[in-house]
Amino acid sequence: MNGMAQYRIAIDVGGTFTDVVVADNTGRMTIGKGLTTRERLFHGMEQGLTVVAQQLGEPDVPTLLSQADLFIYGTTTATNAVVEGKTGKTAFLTTEGFPDILVLREGGKTNAYDFTAPYPEPYVPRRLTFEIRERVNAEGEVVVPLDVEHARSILKRLRAQHIEAIGVCLVWSIVNPTHEATLGRLIEEELPGVAYTPSSRLNPIIREYRRASATVIDASLKPLMQRHLREIAQDVSRAGFRGEILGATSSGGVMPIQELAERPINTIRSGPALAPVAALHYARAEVGSRDVITCDTGGTSFDVSLVRDGLIKATRETWLGGQWVGHMTGLSSVDVRSIGAGGGSVAWIDPGGLLRIGPHSAGADPGPACYGRGGARPTVTDAALVLGYLNPAYFLGGRMQLDVEAARQAIGTIADSLEQTTDQAAQAILTIAGEAMVQAIQEISVNEGIDPRETLLVAGGGAAGLNIVSIAQALGCPQVLIPRTAGALSACGAQYSDIVAEFSLSRLAVTDDFAYTEVNAALQSLHAEMDTLESELRGRGLRNFKRDFFAEARYPTQVWELEIPLEKDRFDGPHDVAALVQGFHRVHERVFAVKEEGAEVECLYWKGRLTGLLDRMQPDRSPTWYTPQGAIPHAHRSVYFAGQGRTDTPLYLGSALEPGMQLHGPAIIEEPTTTIVLYPHSVAQVAPLNNYLISIP
Amino acid sequence: MAVQTYSREVQQTTLDPTLLAVLANRFEAIVREMTQTLLRAGRSAAISIARDFSCSITTSATGQHELLAAAEGLPAHIYGSHLQAQAMCELHPDLAEGDAFLHNDPYLGNSHPADHTILVPVFCEGQHLFTAVAKAHLSDIGNALPTSYMPAARDVYEEGALLFPCVCVQRAYADIEDIIRLCRRRIRVPEQWYGDYLAMVGAARVGERKIQDLVAKYGSETIKTFVHEWLDYSERRMIHAIRQLPGGDVIGTGRHDPFPGLPDGLPLKVKIAIDTQAGRIAVDLRDNPDNVAGGANSSEACSISSVMQGIFSALDPDVPHNAGSFRRIHVKLREGCVVGIPRFPHSCSLATTNPANRLVVITQSAFAELGDGWGTAEGGVAQNAGYAVISGTDTRRNGAAYVNQLILGGNGGPASPGCDGWVTYGIAVISGLLYRDSIEIDEQKYPLFVKSEKLAQDSGGPGRFRGAPAIEAEYGPKGDPVTLTFPMEGYETPAKGARGGQAGSRAWAIKIDRDGSEIPLPNIFTGDLLPGEFIRYRDCGGGGYGPPTERNPEDVRRDVLERWVSVEQARVAYGVVLTGSIEDETLAVDQEATRELREQLGK
Repeated sequence: MNGMAQYRIAIDVGGTFTDVVVADNTGRMTIGKGLTTRERLFHGMEQGLTVVAQQLGEPDVPTLLSQADLFIYGTTTATNAVVEGKTGKTAFLTTEGFPDILVLREGGKTNAYDFTAPYPEPYVPRRLTFEIRERVNAEGEVVVPLDVEHARSILKRLRAQHIEAIGVCLVWSIVNPTHEATLGRLIEEELPGVAYTPSSRLNPIIREYRRASATVIDASLKPLMQRHLREIAQDVSRAGFRGEILGATSSGGVMPIQELAERPINTIRSGPALAPVAALHYARAEVGSRDVITCDTGGTSFDVSLVRDGLIKATRETWLGGQWVGHMTGLSSVDVRSIGAGGGSVAWIDPGGLLRIGPHSAGADPGPACYGRGGARPTVTDAALVLGYLNPAYFLGGRMQLDVEAARQAIGTIADSLEQTTDQAAQAILTIAGEAMVQAIQEISVNEGIDPRETLLVAGGGAAGLNIVSIAQALGCPQVLIPRTAGALSACGAQYSDIVAEFSLSRLAVTDDFAYTEVNAALQSLHAEMDTLESELRGRGLRNFKRDFFAEARYPTQVWELEIPLEKDRFDGPHDVAALVQGFHRVHERVFAVKEEGAEVECLYWKGRLTGLLDRMQPDRSPTWYTPQGAIPHAHRSVYFAGQGRTDTPLYLGSALEPGMQLHGPAIIEEPTTTIVLYPHSVAQVAPLNNYLISIP
Repeated sequence: MAVQTYSREVQQTTLDPTLLAVLANRFEAIVREMTQTLLRAGRSAAISIARDFSCSITTSATGQHELLAAAEGLPAHIYGSHLQAQAMCELHPDLAEGDAFLHNDPYLGNSHPADHTILVPVFCEGQHLFTAVAKAHLSDIGNALPTSYMPAARDVYEEGALLFPCVCVQRAYADIEDIIRLCRRRIRVPEQWYGDYLAMVGAARVGERKIQDLVAKYGSETIKTFVHEWLDYSERRMIHAIRQLPGGDVIGTGRHDPFPGLPDGLPLKVKIAIDTQAGRIAVDLRDNPDNVAGGANSSEACSISSVMQGIFSALDPDVPHNAGSFRRIHVKLREGCVVGIPRFPHSCSLATTNPANRLVVITQSAFAELGDGWGTAEGGVAQNAGYAVISGTDTRRNGAAYVNQLILGGNGGPASPGCDGWVTYGIAVISGLLYRDSIEIDEQKYPLFVKSEKLAQDSGGPGRFRGAPAIEAEYGPKGDPVTLTFPMEGYETPAKGARGGQAGSRAWAIKIDRDGSEIPLPNIFTGDLLPGEFIRYRDCGGGGYGPPTERNPEDVRRDVLERWVSVEQARVAYGVVLTGSIEDETLAVDQEATRELREQLGK
């Protein structure tokens, strides 16, 4: 973090690809992709780093690494382990009388008439769930004292069962954590070296299910992630890196990996959380936008997130493995809505004659019909190929040759059922596939009271360019920004991220009788936690810090909280409380379209966010607009567009396009990691910092 | 005649098929947006915790009022919304943009009085094309007792609810204050009611605005064509789904336990005729007892919705649930019948739960009579102390009054031909849709102390597929007395198994005095619990499907390991003999002994 180095490296390890983005000291980004190697992730990184080293003219990876001061690492390792149930053998300790917290979750089901889906398993099996004799009430009073001997006997049993991790979540530990603290000491005595997580330390929020779920997920990840992060650090330093290694977190920031190893749940979905960080950066730099919808289209999923007034939207309701049936992380993290839609989604005709896309996916193997690996079912990728959107010879940067005839045959089955031409059917498939994405975007923006028609859409991901223009049209978005680095949006986000750590505390306070002393003490103790981390980070050379405070509050008879930014870090009198109340009314009206003037406000949690600002490598170009000039296509191809039919369409190589150039649709832009389809009447301009800004008619 | 049937031939679509799919999505999305608004802005726990509300859109574009879109709404709330929209038009010929109506009248198409419904007529290009409907179960509606369920009410007068026979509550987008004042005067905890009312109006208005945007974008003619074709499409899906069934007539029977006005309980019969050739299902409920002098009479909306829910539970779950698919179901009802069309002033206070729960499970399990692989077992029906409406004052909040329904319990879901029962089933009419209370939230909001809440071993009905277990829980007041009322069912007649599957366990409730003595409680309870007293209760387990001796012994072993089933029940009911121990995870199936025992049991 000394700013003297030449490079800064960000790596995002996904399911299929490992994205490498290296920034030089002029702020220029160079992208390399490797195939993810699950047995040893560093090998995939090396592939990507090699590609980048070549482009930068460095002789080899060690030379590149030795000139870098920061190595930012994002990984799906934790997410995969949770979803696939491949974490450490974990026990759950809970208050006597409540052994089924993880089984019951919070209720809810998608389809009341569906009796074909089995009830999902709890995160920790019931046989590894143990009831601890103790109870604290809502006011924090001890109703049943902790039975230490009974607890010890349970811990002895866990030792016999070779438990690797323990999650401890007791009812009301958020107001009185002493029993959890005592249990922690007992665990250290009885099971030395076994990882454990107490809920009151990890995630002190009300609602026992989501707190318990966070706790057991975190504990279960400790053995695995502590080992994994250590190995990565060893591999990277063996390869020649001497700087600081940071890990990406679910709040869209980064943390020293030593800290992350202590709270591995924070690495969950950290990749998707960084996409809006990149999007916000580009949106600000190119057009000065502070309201941004980010879409990231991968091979199998479509992720949407939201930035409002420069703040990335957070949620406490992130589910792994599906809403209601998976496991909730319960932590405040970037709100990324993910739908299972991608190039592999299969098109089919239902018994009523309606064209449907998904939820079945052809996956990567056999994959779409055009992969020529024996898949015969028509997919979204086949439709894009038939329409001429994809270059059969330049798929995945030329790694794979696509079979157009196989795609036409597969789409032909749909065309016959719909009594349409193959082109029309392919167009219908793309439109309906896009419809699910339109819905996902509308849902998240609506929930935040944001109108997509007044918001900039930023699109990333390898498949984003295929239908983002028509999605924007459906939403009424006037402009879409597609960064040059769209193919590695998350890794780019890591380049623009800061160290972010969040702390929260439960302290009930009602504004008509405000508990000044208690609330100020709570805020003070958040400060104290941040002090500890800040001095640790200062030891690592970080100099610039920022602290933000938030309250999570509701009207007294309400149940769900809203997050309100606080203007100050303490309440000195009625004036400060009034400001809080006004802030709450404003947010409530924005989100729910109504407010209740005159009503009191009930605050549940207090949250502090410490941001350690990393030195930015500033782009060397200032954002001034160039005079529009035309670009020259390198070839033409027959492409089908709705309402226009087959058109001889110009193709442009991204590398030949420079700021100021303007392209009128229909046209296709081929970038090494993505293809942008410019529909008729839309206009793309290469913006001052070299990204594509598309105007939607 | 409750549901109209159509003789008109099903048409093929003329709208662009892509647009058909897109517009269908858009209408569903509007309902979801309404739902989100109501969930997050609602005040009472029943709405904002439990999700006990539904939003829907009905259309009048076809010349009559029909349900178009309901997203994931509760069946009991949804299927009657067209009846309510129809009442709105008949009673208010001067309908205008900006109107909103409050409707909770079970004699005019509503489910039961505790479901306040807000109807907003949606005008597009000057025509009333759609109605946006938001309906929520409120904890208080001004009944004689502080509960939304009045089992013992002999008639509507004893019940005491304020009834709004589709009354105009907003004109030109502004409240009609007389109505608001009337509610504020007669409904307990009026701030909570008004907050819920605002949330409902907000949801319906969001629906109105979004529908108008959509129609403006595509034009009313296209939208009308869409409505016709979407309903026709849904009808085709329904015909196809019905044709997958074996045809024939089945009769489902069951019994509602003794209740006020029903000293011997209530035998129920659902006659189902499946005509696969024609793609139609006819259901006859007329051969059932007359209206009773208690709160357990069904409303017309609930009589229809209960059998509809049962039928849809036995069909492909992907079939759209709207007026198009409803055309293929013909429900025959009788006026003055306890599960028909209620004769005023018989009370329908419990229409959405009793006997609706029974009708749902009787109907869906009747399909199992068609053969192995069809229908399901019965799910649990107990609306026990975990679903009690609680009320009182809270000294922690300076004596503030509260009234609310708890969701601190749950019955086991029915086993099906392909899987075990759903654990967070709730009761039959909920079928898993509602959220559950957080213990900490309940203890924070009310002066309650919850001692325990867990799933009871051996409570799920044994079968090839097992019914889900019941919840057993215990709670009591903290510093202040708490008034609670609940109308429990399922304490005599359990959730039956199907095709050789066994019944789930029965419901019960006991009061635990300060001295620790246990007093069994009657199934209908209204009374105060004092600090130091507790109530302990168990809901019903779900019924099993198929003979338990056909259950995979490995699944039985896992059930024992996970404590769903005891070693004893594994042997007695499932015929599975186990060796080893649970503690050290050495539990194993004794294959030989199991085979022998199963042979014996089969004899």
